[in-house]
Amino acid sequence: MRRIFQIDGEETECWLSHDGTNLIVNMPDGSVPCRLDPTSEPGGYVLRARGRVQELRLAVGPDATFVHLNGRAYAIGRVDPAERLAGSDSGAADDRIIAPMPGVVVAVNAKPGDQVKEGQILLVIESMKLETSLAAPRDGVVAEIPFAAGDSFGLKATLAQLAPEED
Amino acid sequence: MSISKLLVANRGEIAARVLRTAKARGLATAVLRHPSEQEGPAHLIADEVVSIDGPTPVAAYLDIPQIVEVAERIGADAVHPGYGFLSENAGFVAALEQASVTFVGPTSEVIDLMGDKVRARGFVEERGFPVAPSAIEDDDPATFVERSRAVGYPLLIKPSAGGGGKGMRVVREDSALESEIETARREGERYFGDGRLFVERYIERPRHIEVQVMGDGQGNVVHFWERECSIQRRFQKIIEETPSPALSAQQRLDICETAAGIARAVNYRGAGTVEFIYAQDGSFYFLEMNTRLQVEHPVTEMVTGFDLVAEQLRIAAGEGLSAAQDDIAQSGHSIELRICAEDATEDFRPAIGDILLLDEPQGTGVRVDSGILGGGKVTTDFDPMLSKLIVHAPDRTQAIARARQAVQNYVILGVTTNTGYLDAILAHPDFASGDISTGFLAEQADTLTAPGEDISDLLIAATALSDDRLVGEVMQIPEMHRKMGGWRN
Repeated sequence: MRRIFQIDGEETECWLSHDGTNLIVNMPDGSVPCRLDPTSEPGGYVLRARGRVQELRLAVGPDATFVHLNGRAYAIGRVDPAERLAGSDSGAADDRIIAPMPGVVVAVNAKPGDQVKEGQILLVIESMKLETSLAAPRDGVVAEIPFAAGDSFGLKATLAQLAPEED
Repeated sequence: MSISKLLVANRGEIAARVLRTAKARGLATAVLRHPSEQEGPAHLIADEVVSIDGPTPVAAYLDIPQIVEVAERIGADAVHPGYGFLSENAGFVAALEQASVTFVGPTSEVIDLMGDKVRARGFVEERGFPVAPSAIEDDDPATFVERSRAVGYPLLIKPSAGGGGKGMRVVREDSALESEIETARREGERYFGDGRLFVERYIERPRHIEVQVMGDGQGNVVHFWERECSIQRRFQKIIEETPSPALSAQQRLDICETAAGIARAVNYRGAGTVEFIYAQDGSFYFLEMNTRLQVEHPVTEMVTGFDLVAEQLRIAAGEGLSAAQDDIAQSGHSIELRICAEDATEDFRPAIGDILLLDEPQGTGVRVDSGILGGGKVTTDFDPMLSKLIVHAPDRTQAIARARQAVQNYVILGVTTNTGYLDAILAHPDFASGDISTGFLAEQADTLTAPGEDISDLLIAATALSDDRLVGEVMQIPEMHRKMGGWRN
């Protein structure tokens, strides 16, 4: 019944309950009874919550729900906490540079063993005809850069790995 | 030289747009498609969709022998190149000529001249049209850095063979000059296969104003007035409008006649655009001439009432222009927004995804030139521009209001787009007053990407209640437990 919702990188853990009449979304800052009723438009709904009656358009993707509301579109990531626990992988997030897009490596400016500073450019990639420089997320030692100039990589590939920080 | 069957050697929104006019003129039509490419509106409009192969989809659209072979095989007597891809490739024009297929565009000589930024600039300067102070590497490569310094800072480095802002670098300090030259050279080599550079004085807070021209190749050249294209990110336009809010009637006439003069000097044939850099003091300099239809041509169509593709097809068929200069007037105001799959809060990083829901705006004064269909995918194979939203209204204020309403009603769900960002630009007081320059988006980056009202609660509620699995689980629990759901774990 629990879900973690991600909006703009911020996570909110919620659970859903029912009081016999309404569904209730229980958020860290309070419980919100609400209703979601479809309209005649494709993906159209009316949401009633917190005293507001809000028309919106909505589409449910595999990992995220997309909502168009008041002239803006939002992506809300959905994570089942149970699945996250089972699938938790090793390494802290700030140890790695993950490919933001599929692309090609243009230049590699560091090698394993190099001591690097936060913000130092480790590699330059190209995606959709645009060059992007990727910087070290923190001070540290380069553990691995698995790609060379000219190599292609996929979305979310690990482009550089720093050695774990010593506590 | 009449045309009966047109092959559109392009894709996406521009292919669809060209095909619509071609069909309206009674031509048989065909368009290309790479096997890995999503179905788009163009494939539904064309009489014939011809498959092309290549190691990548982009490579297929750049494959001159294959496309010429397609044109011959299907009996097309003309090819419209759209923009990008082979639209400014003199080799393509020559290959079509060889095969006796009409190229809808200028001669290969003019494409060659204007495609080389350095030669083009020299040509324009020699004929007395205004150009900015500059240094050209080719003149004497050994002294290029020295001569660049002499142009003075800030300066702008550009690839000689470039276009579309690729490889362009602004340098403000001498210490950065040499490393920026190297970066620009590398990008020039990769994008254009040509690392030659030139440098020119960077005009502070410049506007980018361009003029639509059209010639019949028989000495007749007209202009269709200007477009203001100062709203750019990464040197690429995302909002264009006409008329420009910067120009007085006399300045408008000066810049448009200068453009027509340049086109006349090359006896221009077809549709072209002369781009100028416009300084705060009202002076303007020739930037480059694009020898094709521009992405932003629809704003010109909206205010002049002319179909520029129809004019292109007339000229290619030897029928000449349908209008004289005096017949071409601006009426009202038009704005175009480029809808791109990108994340404006992450430095315009291109986005990919499935188009789960698509509902495009419509109504009076609203035009959408779209390259996507609901249910499709946005991939990294092509440029992130998905479609163009164009509005027309009696004046600029009403056009902005109409554009805001339309972009707010543009529903694309499943892939991140820049619609919210475009709306934030339109809502900005400096945009409303017309006080803009090509640096506007960078200067206002923080205000334009500021988060709006926090509606996380509503978004979470909508997401939770539309999660069938989650709701299903809750409804299965006996009622007394449902109320305590969260405490059962």
